[in-house]
Order: sequence, then C-alpha cells, then structure tokens
Amino acid sequence: MLDSLKRFAQESWLLVAASLVCGLLLAATNAALGPRIEMNKTLKLTSLAANLLPEATSFTPLPEPIEVQGLDGRRESAVVFKATADDRLVGWAFKVTGSGFADKIELVTAVDASFQKLAGYDVVTSSETPGFGDQIKDNYYRSQFSGAPADKFTLVGGGAANPQEIDSTIVAISGATISSTAVVQAMNHYLPQFKEQLQQKGLIGHGSNP
Amino acid sequence: MAATPDGQSVYAEAVATGLWREIPVFRMLLGTCPTLAVTAAIKPALTMGLCVIFVLVCSNIMVSLMRKGLRPHVRILLFTLTIAAFVTIADLFLRAYQPAMSEALGPYVPLIIVNCIIIWRAEARASTSGVLVSIVDALAMGAGFTIALCVLATIREILGTGRLFEIQVLPKAFPAWAAMGMPVGAFLTFGFVLGFINYVSRKRS
Repeated sequence: MLDSLKRFAQESWLLVAASLVCGLLLAATNAALGPRIEMNKTLKLTSLAANLLPEATSFTPLPEPIEVQGLDGRRESAVVFKATADDRLVGWAFKVTGSGFADKIELVTAVDASFQKLAGYDVVTSSETPGFGDQIKDNYYRSQFSGAPADKFTLVGGGAANPQEIDSTIVAISGATISSTAVVQAMNHYLPQFKEQLQQKGLIGHGSNP
Repeated sequence: MAATPDGQSVYAEAVATGLWREIPVFRMLLGTCPTLAVTAAIKPALTMGLCVIFVLVCSNIMVSLMRKGLRPHVRILLFTLTIAAFVTIADLFLRAYQPAMSEALGPYVPLIIVNCIIIWRAEARASTSGVLVSIVDALAMGAGFTIALCVLATIREILGTGRLFEIQVLPKAFPAWAAMGMPVGAFLTFGFVLGFINYVSRKRS
C-alpha cells in the first residue's frame, strides 16, 4: 500500500505541481483581465442598443440585476439598461439568449419606455452558418421585429404573411428555420419575464401606459 | 557553445530549422487549419502569428524546465496542460485588449491548444534541450509560422479587396476577387505558394 502510494507520488508529483502553477497563472490572469472583459461586453451591448434606440443618449444599468429563467430552466441574473435622453426615459435594453443551429445566439433587445413595442434586436454573438442562419443579422429578418408589439411572436413560413407588415407574425428565413425559430423563441421566452420583473419593481406601468 | 554534429551552433541550427528547413506551414504542413482560416486579411493573420509565438515561447520554457522530471506516460498530458494554460491566457488578453480582433478570430485562438506545431516543438526540442535553446527554437518556429500566414494573407487581401492593412494598394479599377476571401481562395493561394516553394527548393538542391 505504502509502496504504491510512493510510486504514485513519484510518477505524478510533476503533473500535480504543474497543474497548481497553471491554475494559479490562469486565476491571476482572469482576476486581472476579467473586469476589462466585462466592460468590453457592456460597451458592445450598449453600442448595439444605441442603434436600436437612436434617441437615447445614455444607457445606465439598473442597480440590481433581474432574475429570469433561462431556456434550460435555470435561474439567470440579467442586467437591464435604462435608456435615457436628457433624463427622460426612452426605453430599455437587455440581452436574451436563443438556442441556435450551431451554438447559443445572444441578442441585445430594446423596447420602448412603456414596454409596449419592440425597438428591435441585434446580434451580440452567433455561430450560425454563413449565408443561411447568419441572415438573422440581416435587415430582412430584423426589421420584422422593429416596432412590433413586445408580446408573443408567431413564426410562419414564407408566403404565409407579408414580412413588411409589422405585427406579431414573423416570416422565417428560407433555409434557416432553426435560427429563425431561435430568435422568436428567445423573444417569447424572455420578453414576458423582463416585462413582469420591471412591472414588479414599479419601473413600468401595468397597463398600456407607463 | 553547444554545436550540432556538423559544427553549426545549436542556436543557428534552431533558427535555420524554424525559418526554412522545417518551416511549419510550408515544409511540414503543420498548423494548416489556422493557415487557411485566418488569412483572408493581414491583421488577423499577424495577430494569430503573435499568439502562437507567445504560446510557443511560454510552453517551451515550461516544458524545458520540467524536462528532467518528465515521465513517459504523463508527458503528453503535461504538454497539453501547459499549452492550454498559455492559450487561455492569450485568449483572455485578446478579449480584454483587442475585443474586435478576438471576435474576428473566433474559435481559432482557443484552437491553438490543438495546434500540432506547439506540441511538436515541446516534444522535439523543449523536452530534450535547455531553456535558452528552447526559447530560440520557439521564436524561430513562431516566426516561420507567422511569416507563412502573412505571405498568404498579403496575397489574399490584395487580390480579394485591392487593399493591404486596409490601405488601397491596387487601382480602384481592379475588380476585387471576392473568392480570395473565401475558403476556395485560401486553398488556391496555399497550393500555389507551396508549389512555388517546392520549385525553389528543387532548383537550389
């Protein structure tokens, strides 16, 4: 027993020591660069949101993150940005996640001040197939959400509805049904939760007016 | 100073090996995945090259320091652990200071972990040589890899967009060859450059 322990220590001490050194190196690097990486992510999110809410001059995160349920059922904490122009509330922006063809799709979504209409969405990260799924970044698909009611969306095939009509019916991208569904599913899953949380916090009204 | 059997200094031999005799991409055909994937423009190619140099130098130093304690059955495990740690550091650094480039390179920076050039140098050089020789070897191999990437990226960016480093170098009348920015352009350029290098090598020998 003692011999086998001794042999194990002789054979593996270097691996254990190297793991410790590498682990410490990674922890130190992550601690040093983590805040800057987070800041970069926030900057990207707010710069994309600024295109969706062009009126906004400033995006301020709410002091406390909002608890929402992810697509997999787990609780997630999400940061919601308050978009203002000269101290006047013009909208809200937050990140939603969909399950795409290749990987997760992260979208920045913006709604108006009363959470009645969607200002639109933009893609933060996506690994969808170029020429097919990545058309969720294109205006053809994105413009269907701009100005649509911030409520449940229904995805239909091409020809079943007019993509230029702004309502809760979204026409799927031909050849990219999974990616189209991922966007609609993400909206349907997260929008009601964000709306409810903001209403509970008294940040938006319960009716049609804020 | 240590010398090879043919009287050449080990440092000179390491430099010649990395930059010409065994230049990873053109002679050994190693690391071809990033070579084809990130050479549509010169900036990502250069960034990838610098990341590989950083990982090569750091992993060679660490493997060289551990070489006397290496056991055959945990050797590859140790190499992979070391390489993965330094690739993660390079990836975090890019995400912190070059977020746009990190996004443009996508999964190819984390994929340096499985780049054969690095594990090849750890096995062939660092595990059998001193720290200084291992550093020179890493710099030479990394420079060879970066030069190869930059050669392909220069050709592809100029023909694909008419620009280099985003500066117009061809007359605006030149019709940009969009295919050069696509995988087909990568394979064609790589093939032609390989053919040219083989032709020059045969002529010289």
